[in-house]
Amino acid sequence: MKDNSEGRKLVDQMDLKFEARDVQVFYGDNHAIKDVNVDILDNTVTAFIGPSGCGKTTFLRALNRMNDTIPSCRVEGDIKLDGEDINHPSVDPVQLRAKVGMVFQKPNPFPKSIYDNIAYGPRIHGLAKNKAELDDIVEQSLRRGALWDEVKDRLQESGTGLSGGQQQRLCIARAVATEPEVLLMDEPCSALDPIATAQVEELIDELKQNFSVVIVTHSMQQAARVSQKTAFFHLGNLVEYGDTDHIFTNPQDPRTESYITGRIG
Amino acid sequence: MTDATQPTARSKTSLYATDARTKRRNAAEKRFRVYGIVAIATGLVFLVVLLASIVWNGIPAFTQTFVTIQVELPEEKLDKSGERDLEVMKKVSTFGYAPLIDNALAATLEANGIDSPFSKNKDLRKIMSASAAAQVRDAVLANPEIVGTTQEFRLLTSSRVDGYLKGRVTRDSIARDKNLDAEHLDIVDQLRDLGVVVKTFNWDFILGADASESRPESAGLGVSMIGSFFMMLVVLALSLPIGVAASIYLEEFATQNRFTDLVEVNISNLAAVPSIVFGILGLAVFIQFAHLPSSAPLVGGLVLTLMTLPTIIISTRASLKAVPPSIREAALGVGASKMQTVFHHVLPLAMPGILTGTIIGLAQALGETAPLLLIGMVGFIASDAPDTFVDGFLSPNSAMPAQIYEWAKRADPAYYERAWGGIIILLVFLMAMNILAIMLRRRFERRW
Repeated sequence: MKDNSEGRKLVDQMDLKFEARDVQVFYGDNHAIKDVNVDILDNTVTAFIGPSGCGKTTFLRALNRMNDTIPSCRVEGDIKLDGEDINHPSVDPVQLRAKVGMVFQKPNPFPKSIYDNIAYGPRIHGLAKNKAELDDIVEQSLRRGALWDEVKDRLQESGTGLSGGQQQRLCIARAVATEPEVLLMDEPCSALDPIATAQVEELIDELKQNFSVVIVTHSMQQAARVSQKTAFFHLGNLVEYGDTDHIFTNPQDPRTESYITGRIG
Repeated sequence: MTDATQPTARSKTSLYATDARTKRRNAAEKRFRVYGIVAIATGLVFLVVLLASIVWNGIPAFTQTFVTIQVELPEEKLDKSGERDLEVMKKVSTFGYAPLIDNALAATLEANGIDSPFSKNKDLRKIMSASAAAQVRDAVLANPEIVGTTQEFRLLTSSRVDGYLKGRVTRDSIARDKNLDAEHLDIVDQLRDLGVVVKTFNWDFILGADASESRPESAGLGVSMIGSFFMMLVVLALSLPIGVAASIYLEEFATQNRFTDLVEVNISNLAAVPSIVFGILGLAVFIQFAHLPSSAPLVGGLVLTLMTLPTIIISTRASLKAVPPSIREAALGVGASKMQTVFHHVLPLAMPGILTGTIIGLAQALGETAPLLLIGMVGFIASDAPDTFVDGFLSPNSAMPAQIYEWAKRADPAYYERAWGGIIILLVFLMAMNILAIMLRRRFERRW
């Protein structure tokens, strides 16, 4: 907790994207997330690390209210996006999710064409006035997803026919296409080989120019490579949060140190 | 490591020799395979016996014996006024036409040099179907100009004569039957040799209407087929939207609570309710309470809808469940609403399953007889094909399985044969629907 207050001093209020205070998440009677306080910055990659079952993904899903889809799940505490409470009764989760995009652990393209995969979000949000604009959005998104050159000649082919790494980049491009402000990534590389992982990591690095990226990862090397901020979760608690360099070189909490040196987890 | 590098007492057994335990396991596996093969073979034998007996017994129903004769249509008998006024001509009933046929038959015998053992032409009538006079009368009323001429008619013979040509009726069995005498059979034998009496394919069996108990030779399945068709329209129009909407709500929107649990349990139970219960429910609700016309395909369709709904709901829910949750998350993740997620992504993927379930449900409804008993769709329903589309729903009709049941119930063995033939037609429809279901599944199935 001490680190949190220190971290917050460093934060320029203009750059603050997400502000989470005393967040609790329950699955039925199971208290999955306990008293989490965290500030997520704009144009920054924030990594959530920690052993399996520690609540990283649960907390990530609380940020765009994907937990709403789980009937037994209950979220308490304040989560603010640009100063607005996302759990406020007048907030429509659909609007929130348009602002806070998400990429999932397993690549999950729609069983439609590559073009339709990307165009779906812009279409339902009315981002394009005509076909030409939509074509433009699709191209831009695929370029940002570092996939354009590989698929530009077969946009009408099925998205499920791509390789695993390409599918995941397609999903990232799809998330980017709706012009979100924050991109949540839940272990985006866990199903990918090292080459595809490297491509996605490179992509994440580019994406932080425009978005605030939050990534959950099991790979500490990955966290160290791509993120500027790291949060370490353990048993539902946020143990330590700070600059990535700082956490990996000079962890304050003994649990963090044990985890990153491989003694627990 | 030491175990692997140094030989021990355990490694004495040879891989070539099968030990007792392995032998027992292999024997058990072999026995299980034999059980399986025996089970499948038994099933196949039953299927083959069933199909063979249906085809064997049913095929004769598709042919019918006809006699082709020149019938004189005298003006003084059929249209005394000579004005060809249909209203007047209709007053001459089939009793007026029957002697003409008798005479025509006698003339045919004479022309071919066959001696009639009967003194009166009227005695020849037993060879002809009771429908023959109606056939001639219908032709005359349809075209009054032919009165006064001699026309060639292809007329139905009686079901006994038909049975004699098909081998169902023999000279021995005729001895105990007052509907036909051995002398008639002598005549039929000679006429058959001359090609006047022929057994040919009979479209009227597939397309015609039911006939009374004494005229099996003119009974057909066509009108009840129309009844079945209109019932299926009702079932499809009601059970598909209701069933799919109910399943989508239960599967995708409803929160899990006691009430939805209760609904789910009851839907599963409904699928197991005997169909006759739905029949009595239909009688009480649709006919006695709502005063819908009895024997109408509309009511039959409503009852069968109740029966089909659980099947459709269960199969639709199963296919919605089979759509991976990652697809829903993907759609929600890009900001689609719940309904957009369901209608743009989940439903298209579940479609093959839904369609298959619907067709299977329809096929089940098509073959259902019991509920129709109670709403009056079984019995002799003397109707021709409905005149208008609305009539098709509201005028009394039967359905294919109900018609088959009705025929099987009648005493005349000629009806028994027709019941088997009807089963062949019903099976052809069911098979076509199942093949359609398989084709739709193949066509729309998508992998993810």
